[in-house]
Amino acid sequence: MNVTKFAIPEIIFGRGSMVHVGQCARRLGARRVFLVSDEGLEKSGWVERVQTILEAESLEWVYYGDVNSNPRDWQVSHGAKLYLETGADVILAIGGGSPIDAAKGIAILAGNGGSIADYEGANRIERPLPPTIFLPTTAGSGSDISQFCIITDVERQLKMSIISRSLVPNISIIDPLILLTKSQELIIASAIDALAHAVESYVSRIASPFTEIQALRAIELIMRNLRHAVEDRDLDALEQLSIASTAAGMSFSNAGLGAGHALAHSLGGMFDILHGLVHPILLPAVMRFNTPACQEKMGAIGRLVVGRADMPSRLAAEAGIEVLREYFADLGVPVRLRDILPDRSPLAQLAGASAGDACNLTNPRQADVESLLGICEEAW
Amino acid sequence: MVSRVRPSVEDLIGIEHCKLGFYQELRQKLVELQVANLESEERRREIAAILDGITDIMMVLSEDLRIMSVNHVFEEVMGIDDAQGRYCYEVFRQEQRPCPECPAHRSFVTGDVCRETAIFRVGGRNRQFEMVASPINDQGKDERRILIFKRDVTMEKEYQAKFYQAEKMATVGMLAAGVAHEVNNPLASISGFAEGIKRRLGRLEATAGPDLDDIHDYVDTILKECSRCRDIVHTLLTFSRPVSSGFRPVSLNAVVEDTLKLLRSHIKQKNLRLNMVLELSDELPLIYGDEPQLKQVLLNLLINAIDAVDQTGAGQGVITIRTYPEAEEGAGLVVSDTGCGIPKENLDKLFEPFFTTKPVGKGIGIGLSTCYGIVSEHCGEIIVHSESGRGSRFIVRLPSNQGS
Repeated sequence: MNVTKFAIPEIIFGRGSMVHVGQCARRLGARRVFLVSDEGLEKSGWVERVQTILEAESLEWVYYGDVNSNPRDWQVSHGAKLYLETGADVILAIGGGSPIDAAKGIAILAGNGGSIADYEGANRIERPLPPTIFLPTTAGSGSDISQFCIITDVERQLKMSIISRSLVPNISIIDPLILLTKSQELIIASAIDALAHAVESYVSRIASPFTEIQALRAIELIMRNLRHAVEDRDLDALEQLSIASTAAGMSFSNAGLGAGHALAHSLGGMFDILHGLVHPILLPAVMRFNTPACQEKMGAIGRLVVGRADMPSRLAAEAGIEVLREYFADLGVPVRLRDILPDRSPLAQLAGASAGDACNLTNPRQADVESLLGICEEAW
Repeated sequence: MVSRVRPSVEDLIGIEHCKLGFYQELRQKLVELQVANLESEERRREIAAILDGITDIMMVLSEDLRIMSVNHVFEEVMGIDDAQGRYCYEVFRQEQRPCPECPAHRSFVTGDVCRETAIFRVGGRNRQFEMVASPINDQGKDERRILIFKRDVTMEKEYQAKFYQAEKMATVGMLAAGVAHEVNNPLASISGFAEGIKRRLGRLEATAGPDLDDIHDYVDTILKECSRCRDIVHTLLTFSRPVSSGFRPVSLNAVVEDTLKLLRSHIKQKNLRLNMVLELSDELPLIYGDEPQLKQVLLNLLINAIDAVDQTGAGQGVITIRTYPEAEEGAGLVVSDTGCGIPKENLDKLFEPFFTTKPVGKGIGIGLSTCYGIVSEHCGEIIVHSESGRGSRFIVRLPSNQGS
């Protein structure tokens, strides 16, 4: 076995764990916290809740809420400018992947200067970042755990992947109670994103026993709890999704992803499509493409999805993909690429852009532009 | 470009990369800070040493004239070590509100460097200070502050006053000596011829008529006036002696009488209807002192008194000269007048060299400062009581100075 590595932040998990955010910030040396979030979180009242907790801890805060889904490079540089101007210290983000990724970008620029595009790629961050605390509000992105940061380059119309151990936050506070206020659509999209993380990282070329067990655990928990969580808003089920998302995060942060996320990043960069909505469409096709390279592992996934432990791998792999496709369709989300992308002409460009994405590196089966186009065609 | 951003699988595993910590940077910062701290401490010490080398009183005042910081000279001179936070005028003048001539105040208003000299009573002694107030330009701070230097120039002013006095005395002395010479000879002839006439009167008595009684009277008068002139010339000569003619037993009453002789014509000339009252004590002990200098003191006091009375415009007033025995064998001399008095704000400056309220050409303002110097040399003191419009009283108290 090759040498592997497993890095995760300090994780504080549990219902109501959000109340510890003030103490945590203080422990990291905060006096004036830089709080990043978005409009949705503001409306739902969670931003105010965090501010109240900070005030109770006698901490000042500077709020930056100008972030939308698929955060833009200029939003990051604006945030960093504000951070430096206001003399803030600890960076705190509450939200889905977008505010957290924006916060990571701000942290990079605050600690290292330059423009965010300078850090595209892996391990290009040379200097320490401000201390970071993230509070994920969706059970899916895993950004609060991972060493990945995805920022949209507006000019080049693509999503930059920035990968660095420094992007693993100092503390991740996961409070499942926040999920109660999320829309059904968002819970589904997030859970399927987490499922895609788990599947892709499980079969990744650099998966390790430490990531594999987290990935399998995540798949199992999502399959068992998603429907219950969506239909009944059952808190126990939501909590299980939270655990699943975190486990999937631990896995993909260390094992990487695959062609599915490479394509999703390009789709997001070109068409500003909600990241979670892409996976129900792409995942089955990607799994089918990858199966020849990792039949045993796909079998293990299939057995979990189908719920039968005695199936042979080849059969289980195929059955698993089929069950997933039906399962997604059942959830009422778009499952064909044509549903969100009526014109198929940009598919070639999409495949070309995806081939260079960092996520494509760890795909178990070599995926060139042609293969990626094939996946798109199948999903269309 | 593409190769720059395209990571490898090894990058993703990132064995040799880890979350960047602060430790290294912190340690480096610590070392830098320690070095910087040492440097600034050294600079601070150097500046402190420079400041300690300044022999003037130095203090920093806030806008409401509170003392914010002082140097060690302040503490030594003023004998106060808790000045910080107190008002400047409270410390220096025991006043409740800022002094009208305060240069710090002016400096705050104008933003310029302002100078002023003033006399403060420090440790029971009047001391004269030259003050320089300069605004401190500190961009970082909102509140304005003023740096004040106070240099003790008492000695310089005293020497300056002595110099003027010596110069004046030398001139007066030269004049007096000249006058004495010039007057002595005709006086001697007048006196000689009068004696001659007086001698011949005996013989004429036998032969001539009855009008000789009148001539006797005339000759006696001439001789008496001649002797008076000699006395005046003699008195003039005592003024012309060098300043330090030496300490010897002196009667203050004699000083008063001699000085009045000199002044008589001055009073006549001014055509004042002055009432000069003498209350000379019979039991006055002799004090050990410098007679010409004490005469100088009294002369100055009397001239001031006459001028003060003159200024009331009524042309009439009372000047009282009183001598009295002081406790422990000393003697006191009081000159009081019913003149114009001294305004309260000038009382502090009276003994300041060159301070004068007289019009240009009438005095250069060294009279009282000279008196002050002379009395100080006699280990005595001058006390002033005055009320504007009602007159002044100068009390000179002199110890016997025996054995000194």
